[in-house]
Amino acid sequence: MTDDREPTMTGYDQARWIDGDEPRYEPLLSEKDETTVEVGGDDGPLPDDLTRDDLTLPELSEPELARHYTRLSQMNYGIESGPYPLGSCTMKYNPKFTEDVAALPGAAVHPDRPDGTLQGTLELMAHLQDYLARIGGMDEVSLQPPAGAAGEFVGILVAKAYHEHNDEGHRSEVIVPDSAHGTNFATAALAGYDVIEVPSAEDGRVDLDALEAAASEDTAAFMLTNPNTLGLFERNIEAVAEIVHGVGGLLYYDGANLNALLGRARPGDMGFDVMHYNVHKTFATPHGGGGPGAGPVGVVEKLAPFLPAPRVRERDDGFERFDPEYTIGKVHGFEGNWLVLVKAFAYIARLGDDGLRDASAKAVLNANYLAERIGYEVPHGPFHHEFVASAGDQDAADVAKRMLDYGVHPPTTKWPDIVSEALMTEPTEIESRDSLDDLAAAFEAVREEDDETLAAAPDRTTARRIDQTEAARNPRLSWHDLAD
Amino acid sequence: MTDRYHQAGGTPFAPHTEAETAAMLDAIGAESEVDLFDIPESVAFDGEFGIDARTEREIREECGRLFGENDDLVEFLGRNHHGHYVPSLVDHLADRQEFLTSYTQYQPEITQGFLQALFEYQSILAEVTGLGVPNASMYDAATALGEAATLAARLRQVDGTRVLVPELLCPGRRSVLDNYVAGTDLVVETYPTADANVDVDALADAADDDTVMIYAENPTVRGTIEEHLADIGRIADDAGALFCLGSDPVALAILEEPASVGADVVVGDASVLGMPTSYGMGLGLFVTREEFIRQVPGRLVGVSTDDAGNRAYTLTLQTREQHIRRERATSNICTNQAWVALRTAIHAAMLGASGLVDLAETCVREAEALAADLDSIDGIDAPIHDRHHFREFVARTDRRAAAVRDDLLEAGFAVHVVGDHEVQVCVTERTERRTDDLVAAFEEAAR
Amino acid sequence: MSFNIPDDRRYLESHEWTEERDGTVRVGITDFAQDELGDVVFVELPDIGDDLDAEAAFGVVESIKAVSDLYAPIGGEVTAINETLFDAPELVNDDPYGEGWMIELDADGSLDDLLTPEEYEEQIE
Repeated sequence: MTDDREPTMTGYDQARWIDGDEPRYEPLLSEKDETTVEVGGDDGPLPDDLTRDDLTLPELSEPELARHYTRLSQMNYGIESGPYPLGSCTMKYNPKFTEDVAALPGAAVHPDRPDGTLQGTLELMAHLQDYLARIGGMDEVSLQPPAGAAGEFVGILVAKAYHEHNDEGHRSEVIVPDSAHGTNFATAALAGYDVIEVPSAEDGRVDLDALEAAASEDTAAFMLTNPNTLGLFERNIEAVAEIVHGVGGLLYYDGANLNALLGRARPGDMGFDVMHYNVHKTFATPHGGGGPGAGPVGVVEKLAPFLPAPRVRERDDGFERFDPEYTIGKVHGFEGNWLVLVKAFAYIARLGDDGLRDASAKAVLNANYLAERIGYEVPHGPFHHEFVASAGDQDAADVAKRMLDYGVHPPTTKWPDIVSEALMTEPTEIESRDSLDDLAAAFEAVREEDDETLAAAPDRTTARRIDQTEAARNPRLSWHDLAD
Repeated sequence: MTDRYHQAGGTPFAPHTEAETAAMLDAIGAESEVDLFDIPESVAFDGEFGIDARTEREIREECGRLFGENDDLVEFLGRNHHGHYVPSLVDHLADRQEFLTSYTQYQPEITQGFLQALFEYQSILAEVTGLGVPNASMYDAATALGEAATLAARLRQVDGTRVLVPELLCPGRRSVLDNYVAGTDLVVETYPTADANVDVDALADAADDDTVMIYAENPTVRGTIEEHLADIGRIADDAGALFCLGSDPVALAILEEPASVGADVVVGDASVLGMPTSYGMGLGLFVTREEFIRQVPGRLVGVSTDDAGNRAYTLTLQTREQHIRRERATSNICTNQAWVALRTAIHAAMLGASGLVDLAETCVREAEALAADLDSIDGIDAPIHDRHHFREFVARTDRRAAAVRDDLLEAGFAVHVVGDHEVQVCVTERTERRTDDLVAAFEEAAR
Repeated sequence: MSFNIPDDRRYLESHEWTEERDGTVRVGITDFAQDELGDVVFVELPDIGDDLDAEAAFGVVESIKAVSDLYAPIGGEVTAINETLFDAPELVNDDPYGEGWMIELDADGSLDDLLTPEEYEEQIE
């Protein structure tokens, strides 16, 4: 199916200054100024043997800096620049009012104050713990993990502590499907487990026979994303839970794809014992160019005593922090990415039950509509909030680069590798039908182009294709390295 | 509120009108949105969360009321979380949607701006530490310390099992470190301190061939400036261990350069620039030497060239990371603190070298002046450690410290209690105008 | 796509080649392996004098998209390493059987059990 409209362009190359025919880019701060200041000496407050000799940094005026960073921003594509259908990343619009809520006076407090002086902060945390528990069907929630991978780490440490508490510390393996996020493997290894990878079945879901063969009395946990990274609901989830629980293991839910299930199904009802939420995905807190996010962890009752310290609870005389009885301790120096949690609270409160349910409906509607409008084959279904198309004979990474020329952000590519030349696409609920039609037009335009055009792409962007080999063979990580 | 786009019961952040939804369903060939879900009935959820939707205005009011319930205190608090004044420019630039709402720079051709900002952040860290390999951020100082320990465990250049940390290490930081080494064969042990500096003789006795890392802080958690950095570096070197130094970019503006005292890894909280006090939210700085580059955790921004021959920035050495190397990755970190790093870079650029040095010297002068003022009060000794101080210091109170703290809270000031008769007081340029009031309150509370 | 598989060598399933040279055994990775990896950006090799066990990982080859362990085809002491690769890892791509060699071993066994060129060719088909 094709579309007859022309691909639209967005103007993210406006930061190029045209100097004759040559594009010229924003120089580094260090190329604008380098000022060296002597440290110490007679005027300094410290003896010279405790200080450095000097410090060299750029010194620029406020107007110069305002232009510098504004130009840099013009060389960057954000969610308000255009469609951002990155599979597995859930790039939603980030409501502005949540920024204002997080910036309210009174939110900026120090965590070492006594509980009695922090009642508002603790109350908001208690509400958010409660909201998340309800949404995930979990009994208790810790807000401490500062990112999804940190949430995974907490979940696996909690599982470990639980097994050790029950004299089952011999359990040494964590099972992970081959289609899982890389963080699942890395987290299990960080926690000291052997990682057992199980292949997916032909239909792209968990292979029950393979899981059964892998599960044993050495199994500490099985980590699963549902819907999985192909967007497919693991229809056999109850059988999966039976196998894992049957050998005494725990079932871990990776919350990366929770946006598909809001108000439709809950991990706790499917038999999951422990899960993390990615608030920067599901609850629309900004991705910030890579972070900060937050990765709260929910657990069933029997795991609650092992959660990180402190947690928040309500008492007769107000809210207080407390250490769970067998706590694993801490995974963050304080209590996580607080300002991100405030934004997540505000987003959930804005949507409420009906809005959350509508978000998953529109996310799934949009993914299905977009898949219908493009010619690339989607080998697995029925999918939910995202689908994985195959670029076929084309190189998926080249397809992505060429899509940049059509003014849209491309999908996640080449992963999961159970689909060849994967284009993992997640438009989220925020795209309108028109916008999806534009996106489809970009897909279709690229699909009809030859390999040569694709390999030469992009040519309408701020930077052309970047040489990854040069960057890796000769790593230069600061402006000091550019001098040589 | 109901309008064409926001039907009753819908999310306000999906632009579908009813007619469009119907047309889209029609194009797909589905009867309803519910039909698109492939969820077995036995696990489907048909209940309610019981979360009431509120309007934007209601939520702002609700949160304003909640935060209003936090006592209005002047915080003389630090101990690993410091709030300096953040210029307005930082908020306004960092909040530009192109920065705030973008994803990780996996498509560098359309994210040159953020990549350059992160490259500049890395460069600032390289300058203040003197070390060549800064990463693009960890979550916070505590997790950066944990990652430093796992780095030590992976390196071929060092072997052994012992990680030595000062007995004064903040319990939260220690707990995070313990969790990060849980999957390795490392054991964390403490070494003694003397007057809130490293006890060099005791450390030399403790360090041996089985030591892989020695951790020290400058300034220490009690605010003292460490006087034995070069000795610590030598002890680490003799033991064949890494010297990991905890610090922050304001302190490093004037204190001894880590590279010059033999530090192999520098960790700490970089959000002392760029972020106000944020209930402990931070930015883990992580810098190490070139020879360890392939074992570094987290993202790295490097320089390359594009097809047009122009300089271009890109994430590099990604094969270290979890999305490629999975269970053999150098860390499980994916989402990091990139946007905070952007804020830190803007703030540092705004201060420049002279502003940063000036700020750091203020942190020394104000702490020493406030300690002297408190020392003149009957019933208070300050500072109790005979050292130079940065931002904060510990004072001894004749009264029980908790009672002093409570009286100060009544008067509108917050300080730490760090012992039965010890309080810790932190002062920065943000609170310096209120030190006279604090001293007056101490005069009452000390009795 | 066809790959160069010289007749005078023996191979491992993990894509290393071995070549007998005057009492030592030289080891590198195959044309197929370098093509799968893409541009090689870094090579980590053992120290001269290290004793390797057969099938043990002795080093690492890293490209922009993958990292692979290098496996010893046979036990023995490392007698030489190709230090040129530290500064010029691209030699692994440009000349995998020649200048891109990696280590030489004083082998303590025979190469007869390794794959023949024909067997290796079958494996990568």
